[in-house]
Amino acid sequence: MQYLLQLLISGLAIGAIYGLIAMGFAVIYKSTGLVNFAQGEMTMITAYIAWTISTTVNGNVVVVAFGAILAAILLGLIIERVVMRPMLGEPVFATVMVTIGLAVILRSAINFIWDAYPHGLDVGMGRDIVRFGGIGVRTGQIAVIATLLALLTAIWAFFRYSKMGIAMRAVAADDRTALLMGISASRVHALAWAASSVIAGIGGVFFALSYDLSPAMFQLGLKAFPATILGGLDAVLGSGLGGLLIGITENLAGGYLGSGMKEIAGFAMIIVVLMIRPFGMFGERDIERV
Amino acid sequence: MRTGDYKQTYGELVALIDSPPIWLWSAVLLMALIAAPYALNAYALSFLMIILITVTGALGLNILTGYTGLISLGHVGFLVTGAYAYAILTAKYHLPPLIGFLGAGLVPALASLIVGAPSLRLKGLYLAITTLAFSFIINTVILEMRWLTNGARGLSVQRPEILGISFDSDAAFTYLCLGVATLTLFATLNIRRSRVGRAFVAIRDNDTAARVMGINLHAYKLLAFVTSAFITGLAGALYGIYLSFVSVEGFPFLLSIEALAILIVGGLGSALGAVLGTVLIVLLPEAARLVFSFFSAQLDAVFTTGAQELKSMLYGLVIILFLRFQPRGLVGAWHDIRRAWVNWPLRY
Repeated sequence: MQYLLQLLISGLAIGAIYGLIAMGFAVIYKSTGLVNFAQGEMTMITAYIAWTISTTVNGNVVVVAFGAILAAILLGLIIERVVMRPMLGEPVFATVMVTIGLAVILRSAINFIWDAYPHGLDVGMGRDIVRFGGIGVRTGQIAVIATLLALLTAIWAFFRYSKMGIAMRAVAADDRTALLMGISASRVHALAWAASSVIAGIGGVFFALSYDLSPAMFQLGLKAFPATILGGLDAVLGSGLGGLLIGITENLAGGYLGSGMKEIAGFAMIIVVLMIRPFGMFGERDIERV
Repeated sequence: MRTGDYKQTYGELVALIDSPPIWLWSAVLLMALIAAPYALNAYALSFLMIILITVTGALGLNILTGYTGLISLGHVGFLVTGAYAYAILTAKYHLPPLIGFLGAGLVPALASLIVGAPSLRLKGLYLAITTLAFSFIINTVILEMRWLTNGARGLSVQRPEILGISFDSDAAFTYLCLGVATLTLFATLNIRRSRVGRAFVAIRDNDTAARVMGINLHAYKLLAFVTSAFITGLAGALYGIYLSFVSVEGFPFLLSIEALAILIVGGLGSALGAVLGTVLIVLLPEAARLVFSFFSAQLDAVFTTGAQELKSMLYGLVIILFLRFQPRGLVGAWHDIRRAWVNWPLRY
């Protein structure tokens, strides 16, 4: 029982990180219709920038947090403007392949800018252990779950009530009609890339806090994939919840079936999900006509 | 004055090569390739081997992604299964290499039935994600099945001896690769102009419409998967022999990206494109190294320390630039040049 609870809690914590990154995927898919294969790499760059800031200011939490968010916004905007906008109107296949190319470039860029060794991100908090009736939980793990829930609420409200959120939904539903209604699609895209970069970046920074920074971190993006497929590629909230589910499944598989299963539990799960409900738990089914 | 193509029979339309000069040049190229192992030094010969092996693999992916339009991000999974099948059959059970090659084709083909099954329901990005998942699952499966695959330690492979002919020397092995690559090229060209190939292309262009026209989507999609995996598995076996050691690390995920880069750079859906793309992508890192070392020794040092990273960066850059400026690839560029040459001084 103790073991199970411990697995569940750490599953929720890692799941919250997957959930944040999965929300990053979903935000971009929802407003541009693209799967951003470079999401994991963007997450990793934000985390590395946060680490660089933390080593120069001796781990002041506020500075690191603002610096990381600012860096993530800039990263998202630059990528959208330089790489993605010229591809506007090209076939989806070509645009998605561009994000794959981008992923490969960013991944190797990290090896050049920083180095290939693991680093610990230390901001003087988040590694203390709190005990709830015999189960040890790190404060960083509680913080990431809380952040996920807060962001889920904020994003739900944003898409539901704000003018920009409604504009983004309109572009997602039918970009040509949205353009005719006077919505600037390029501004919506830029906002989506910036928002996605920030949301996923927060996940990356939390990952670096709880574990380590290393060039293998881009695999977080691959791990978060199942989460967003499970929740539905166009469902931002569903992706967040999907992350929690995947995190728990993965940890349970790792705890009871062996470490090899932990690596592939998520992937095995998406294959099943895709066979049964290809549009995910909360996604919209699309009907096709010739 | 010639103003266009005059094709009056169906036979002319589906002819493999429609003009005699192309026959001539193809023959010259084949002669050059046959003479190459004696003219090239060991370093250049290794590039030739890699190119021939990669062409085989790229042609395999071309059937799936280029002809049928099913994107696979996990083709390295078929490559690694092929290599392991060959290594296990020949090195562990000491079966003749021909059976090894057969196994290297059949095992990935069987695996592709499992991966292909979701493709009957999914398409586009979703399928790409499933194949990606497959390639990670297969790596874990190989590492876990220690009794068969030696786990992380890998298997060492000898150069084969087929029907009494030893392919031990580099030159002989190049001929083996050349033979397999040429056969694959003819096979894919022939598939493309047959009934099956036309069905593949119809599925790529619009699968709902293809279904309405009476094409059995399930059968043809699975057929595309099986054919593609068979060819890719053969390439995997050759690559394993080339490396003389088969392990999961020898087949990194980057190879999947490299294969897609080859198709995009060459031009999707064209066998000639796959060949041109392979030559460019394989030689690109080397060419870049030469150019940089020409400018300064410092940059050359960067190339030797971060070779792997620079290689992947170049692939990424090439994918993006081609998609942005020449989406039809090298084949498209070649067509444009040819038309400009024929029609000059008129535009068209």
